Order: sequence, then C-alpha cells, then structure tokens
Amino acid sequence: MKFETIEYKKYDETIYKYEHSSGLKCLVVPKKGYYKKHATFSTQYGSVDNEFVIPGEKTQTRVPDGIAHFLEHKLFEQKDGSVMDKFAALGSRPNAFTSFNQTVYLFSCTDLFRENFDLLLNFVQNPYITDESVEREKGIIGQEINMYRDDPGWRVSFNLLDAFYKNHPVKFDIAGSIESISKITKDTLYKCYETFYHPSNMVVTVVGDVDHIQVFEQIEKNIQATEKTSEIERIFPEESDSVNKIYVEQNMPVSTPLFYTGFKDNNFNLQGLEILKYDLAVKLIMSMIMGKSSELYAKLYDKGLINSTFEMDFSIEKSYAYSMFGGESVNPEAVKDSLIKEIRKFRSNGLDPQTFDRLLKASKGRFLRQMNSVESISRMFINLYFKGVTMFDYLDVYDTMSFDYIMDVFDMHFDIERMALSVVKGTSK
Amino acid sequence: MTSTNVLEEKLEKIAEINGIKVYNIKSNRFKTNTINIFFQDNLDKDSVALNALFPSVLRRGCSGLPTIKDINLYLEESYGAVFDCGIVKKGEKQIIHFYFEYVSDKYTSDADRNFQKALDFLLNIIYKPALQDHSFNEQYVEQEKSNLKMLIESRINDKVQYALDRCYELMCKDEPFGLYEYGTIKQIENITSSELYKHYKEKVSTLPVEVFITGELCDSDIEVLKNSLDSINRSAQKGLLSSIVKKYVDKVSYFEDAMDVNQGKLSLGFRTNITSNEDDYYALLVYNGILGGGMHSKLFQNVREKAGLAYYVFAGLEKFKGLMIIAGGIDIKERDHTKELILKQLDEIKEGNITDYEFKSTIKSLETGIQSLKDSQLQVVDFYLSQLISQTHDTLEGLLEKIQRVTKQDVIDVSKKIQLDTVYFLTSEA
Repeated sequence: MKFETIEYKKYDETIYKYEHSSGLKCLVVPKKGYYKKHATFSTQYGSVDNEFVIPGEKTQTRVPDGIAHFLEHKLFEQKDGSVMDKFAALGSRPNAFTSFNQTVYLFSCTDLFRENFDLLLNFVQNPYITDESVEREKGIIGQEINMYRDDPGWRVSFNLLDAFYKNHPVKFDIAGSIESISKITKDTLYKCYETFYHPSNMVVTVVGDVDHIQVFEQIEKNIQATEKTSEIERIFPEESDSVNKIYVEQNMPVSTPLFYTGFKDNNFNLQGLEILKYDLAVKLIMSMIMGKSSELYAKLYDKGLINSTFEMDFSIEKSYAYSMFGGESVNPEAVKDSLIKEIRKFRSNGLDPQTFDRLLKASKGRFLRQMNSVESISRMFINLYFKGVTMFDYLDVYDTMSFDYIMDVFDMHFDIERMALSVVKGTSK
Repeated sequence: MTSTNVLEEKLEKIAEINGIKVYNIKSNRFKTNTINIFFQDNLDKDSVALNALFPSVLRRGCSGLPTIKDINLYLEESYGAVFDCGIVKKGEKQIIHFYFEYVSDKYTSDADRNFQKALDFLLNIIYKPALQDHSFNEQYVEQEKSNLKMLIESRINDKVQYALDRCYELMCKDEPFGLYEYGTIKQIENITSSELYKHYKEKVSTLPVEVFITGELCDSDIEVLKNSLDSINRSAQKGLLSSIVKKYVDKVSYFEDAMDVNQGKLSLGFRTNITSNEDDYYALLVYNGILGGGMHSKLFQNVREKAGLAYYVFAGLEKFKGLMIIAGGIDIKERDHTKELILKQLDEIKEGNITDYEFKSTIKSLETGIQSLKDSQLQVVDFYLSQLISQTHDTLEGLLEKIQRVTKQDVIDVSKKIQLDTVYFLTSEA
C-alpha cells in the first residue's frame, strides 16, 4: 500500500496521506493517548453549488436552494432503516453538517472504531431516498428553517452577505427557504448525489489514536472502485465588484442591536499556500486595527459601543471572500464610522511592525492550541483540503509571513468603498 | 509521533493552604497547560448580582496591567495565552471561575518558566485589582454594570436557551435555584462601587476555593504555587448550604410567554427527587438517556423521526438540583399534540417498555460521553469540580462502572419517582 508520511517533529505531529484508485483522498492525523477517534467523510458540495454542468453533459442544471442540506438529511436513511440507529448501537455520535462549500458526515467514538468507520464509509455511498420520505423531511427541515429565522445572530450575518452580494448564492440560507425546498424531489436529490458524491470529489479524515494502515485498508475494502471523473463545472452568477447594498436592517425581538460590518473582497482568485498566506495576513491586520489590544477596541469598549460579544472573522473560498466585525452595540453606525476613521488613520500613518510581530506570535500560539482537539483538527483539515493545502502548512506560513506582505494586503482588503453594515434591532414600541 | 509515553492522568490533591485546595491533573497529550481557580458561594438573592459583577470588574485591570489593552498586550506576548473569568450556576451554588491557558514550555522558543508568569498574572487579577482611591475604578464599575445589564436583557436573543432557563426559573420561583445567575437589572442598577469593593474583599478572603492545574508541570512549578498561595491573606472559611432536591409536586403549573417568533418552544420541567450521591442517580442517568439523550432515544425517535413534529427535542438533567427538562422546537399549533406525545414516552418507560436497543445504546452512549471528556482539559476539570460540589467522589472510571451495573428494572423504578412540575411554552404574539 502506498501512502505518504509527513512529520512535524517540532510540534509532535504527523500526517499520513493516501489516495484510492477512484480519486478519493484520505488523511490520518494520529493523536496518541487520545480517547476520541474522529472520522469524517466529506464532499466538496455545499449550499452555493446550485448551478453546474454534470460531467459528460452539455447543458447546465439548476437545482432548488437548500438541496445540498436536504440531501445530507436524507442520506441518514437507508434501505434497512436509519443509519443513526446503527451508530447508536455502537455508542458513537454520528452527525453531519452542510456549509457553503462542503457537506460533512462524521462520527466520534471511543470504542469499536473499525465498525463505526465501515458504517460511515458505507452509508454515505448508499443513498436510499423515497418520495414519501422526501415529503416527511420537508416538515423537519421546515422547523429547522423556522428556528434559524428566529435566531438574530444567524439573521444578522446572512443579512451582511445579502448586503455584499447581489447574486452570489452564498447570500442564501444554507437550508434554503420553505418555498425552495417545496420543489425538491427524489429525482433531483439523486441527480445531485450522482454528480457530487463521486469519490474523486470527496475526502476522508481520521484524527485520533488509530492505526493508519488499518484505516487505509478499510478504505480499499469499502470504497467502490469507480473510474475518476472529470471536474464538475460549477456556475456562479455574474457578481459586481462593488457591494449590493451598504446597509441592511431587520427588526426582531432583541434588546440591544446586533450588527456585523465588514469588507467584500474580490481577491479570492488564489491557489494553495497563497490562500493561507492571504487569510492569515487579513486576520492579523484585523487584529491590529480592532483586536483586543488595539486603541480602537479600548476606545469603543470604554464608550460602551462594543462589549465582550465583539468578534471578527475572515472567509476566503473559490468564488468569494469577505471579512466580518460584529457583536452587540447600542450604536452600530458609530462603530462602523470609528472603524473607517481608524483605517484612514492607519493608511496615512502606516502599520506598526512591532504590533505585527507580537500578533504573529500570539496567533501562532492560539493555532497550536487548536491541535488539542480532534474536532478542531479535523474541521481545519477538511476546510483546507479542498483548497489544496493542509493545516500544518500554516506552520510554514507563520515562519515566512513578512511585514511587507502585510502592508500590501492592507491596501487590497480594507477598501472602504466595499464596506457594508447589517443591523438587527428590536421593534420600537 | 515522538516516542514519549502518554502519562496516566488522574486527579491528585497536592496541597491545602489557607483553605485553598489544590489539585493537579498531569498530562502530556496537550499543547497547553491550564490553571483554574474556583470560588464557591451559595446562590442567594442578596449576593447573586454582586458576585456576577465583580469578576467583570477584575477583568478590566490589575496591578501592573491597569487596562484591558495592557492585559491583552500581555496575553499576546505570552504566545497568545487565553484568560477569562465569569460565573456559572451549579444547583444552588454560584461558582466564580478564573481561567488561564498557555502554550507548554516545550513549544515556546524562550525557556522561561511560563507557569510562574501565568500564576502571578491570575493571582494579580484576583487579589490586586486596578484601584482608584482605595476602591474599584469607578468608571470600570459603571461600564461593567451597563454591560451586565445588556447581557441580562439579551437573554431573549437565544430562544432555545431562554425557553429552558425560563421553565426552570418559573418552576423554582420560590427557591434559590429560581434565581438567574447574573441577577436582575434592578439589582445591578443599585450596586455602588464602594459596596461592590467591600463585597469583593469579603468574598475572596472567605469563600471556599479550589485550584486545578493541568498539563505538564515540573516540581519547581508546584513549589512556586505553594509559596504563592502561602502569601495570600485569608479569613475563616464560609460554610455553604447544600442544594435542596426533594420536593413533592401537588399540582402542575402552566406558563406561556409571547414574542415575535416563527417557531414555538415547549419546555417541560420535572422533579426527579434524586440527589447525585444516591445510588438511584446512576439509574437516573440511564433513564434520561433512554428518554431523550440522543438519536436512539424515545423522544428523538418518536417525536422527531416518526411524527416529524420537532427539529430538536431532548431531555437533560440538572444533577445538583435533581431536575430534568424536556425541550423541543415545534410548530405553534402542535403544542398540545407534542406535549401528549412527550408524556406518552415517559409512560412507556414506567410500563417497562424499554427495548434492548434503547437500553444498550444509552449505556454505550454514556460510556462514549464519559471517555470523550478526557480529551478536554477543561471538561475533566469541570467533572472533578462537580464531584466536589455534589460531594460524590466518583472518578471517571468509577462512574462508568456504576452506570454499567444499572439494570432495566432500576430504570423502571426510578421512572416512578419523576414528577411533572411545570409546562412552559414560548409562543408567537397573537
């Protein structure tokens, strides 16, 4: 059996990589002495993949919003009953989630890894969908959609995406809407399954105290030996460089307004390590401007304009990128205005190299901390896998990050013309 | 992987100094070490808001690091160490928690003894706050009062949690457990800076304290710790009350709140009348698991999968107070129907209708849960703290064994003790 071993001795970590003849990749990260064994089986298929050309066909296919998530729910049903029951009998915790770009099936167990892993590999490869079960699922997912509609934190972030994007499907709720899922049928579900669940579009990760050879052998035995297929062509609508709206507001029962502001970023056309570099650079600059040790954070906190709910994040994917700054605030507009002022100040005075050094050191320490948890290792691996890199590539990026590069990225990302604000506030009485 | 062997990890009491009990959980599997300091107090209406407020003020600054900015500069310089403090409610106790996590010496380039720095920082935060005229900084107190009021008002944002909390509060409105752990807006408004300072001084010198350190420490670190604790001024320790668990229900209460929501939230509150140091407690864990502790449970299978009534539905225990809650997110018009179907599941267990699948899956799932705790330093600490609070002395292995000894008959016996107390429904405005 052929596999690749990469050791990171300085950090006591190793990774084993293997590729099956069907094109399926598998990554194993051994964690000696850990009790939990965490395995995932993921496809590069998420809520944004609503329009595509099926390999071998000429015309494009458009499917209803929310179908990737719907399919995730349906895969748990098998010809001989629900696969959840079989996991439960083994005492493990199966789960699945759909994000913008991936659908991930996973379990975590402390015993009977071999049985659990066989089960995971098999159920994801064997859909069993009936008309009747599709109709029943519409009720359950309808409740899920309603739950998110009542969640102000969820709404305020999706409203920011709506402000950024005019057409890009990242702006739509991952579960779709009651209306869009009503159009989902057994046939469209199977069509999406056949297209996106081909092994060459998928990856398996295992993190925990496991024998990697055994893992690879189980893959050999359980994965159907299909030919690799050609790349799926994914179609995204035309999207303008500028924002769709500068401001979106929604009224919901909240006491203090919630807000997210941030920048739409059109520099997403990057490959491999470049993505990690850019991602880290943007995050470091965000911390320099508004992190907990910044002047601006202290000023806004003292004025009562932000509190400990304040957070920041940056996302970069194949067809979009954006940053978000948000939390609770009695005056979101004032926070946004202060952020703009601060960026202008940094633009004229320049960034501080010492602050950069300190934040880089802190960021690396916090990155190492994530290696304590099998779940966070696995989450980072899946997310990065489809970008052609691994979590440990970050270690190189930390060592080579330069202040010059940071200054370039500052000019690229923090463009005040591409800023938007989303606010959820209570209904005035 | 390196060839170092994995250490056996167990709780070891290493000192009791000035009424401060110190426990060590050695481990070499993690990239970080942690220090946890817990102060325990009774949950009491006169001190609940004060206890909630003072840690937020302490977090604002200490001797040598007088502002949030200084503190965060310090944490960033320390390889992105993590510091936090706050409160949690466990039964009728309010716990004040101070937490510090830092990268282990072997992964940092300078060979500084990071433990000493971490401990000094945490003790400074607790015992040497930033002062102004021999009291707390007035501005910090006012700002943290306003933040705490905001936190209390924001409870309604998370409807899932709110519907759980409200049910417990209404159910225990005449007991300490009914208090919200952050107090009330009115209480917060009335707190003065000098009153808060006096309260804080008294609490940090009289409340029982537990310290837990985890990770890879060396003998000199332990010496540093003992010396530091020796120098703290402490008075006689306050004795604490136990949570009251036994209460007979003579009539079920019904409550409803209306808000602008799309989904209804149903919560059913129960009295189990079982304390965690009784043998029945282990059967209760299994009972709760069969009823609503996962995808194999009666609630998930029947209310969600078969009837399609809820996206989420589960049963949970508050072991310190002996309460159980069942919660679900449902279509508003399905309230009565869902309630009946839920209560039918309880009856099924009483009548002995427990399948082998339900029983075995529950035991297995509890085992997985207990073993999984061990992979998180914070969860292991929380487990042992909970043991101390409830005065049970189970180890993780001991707990596992006791669960494995539970029989179906034990579960049926326990099911008969459980009484519905309160039905709560969060519904839409007319």
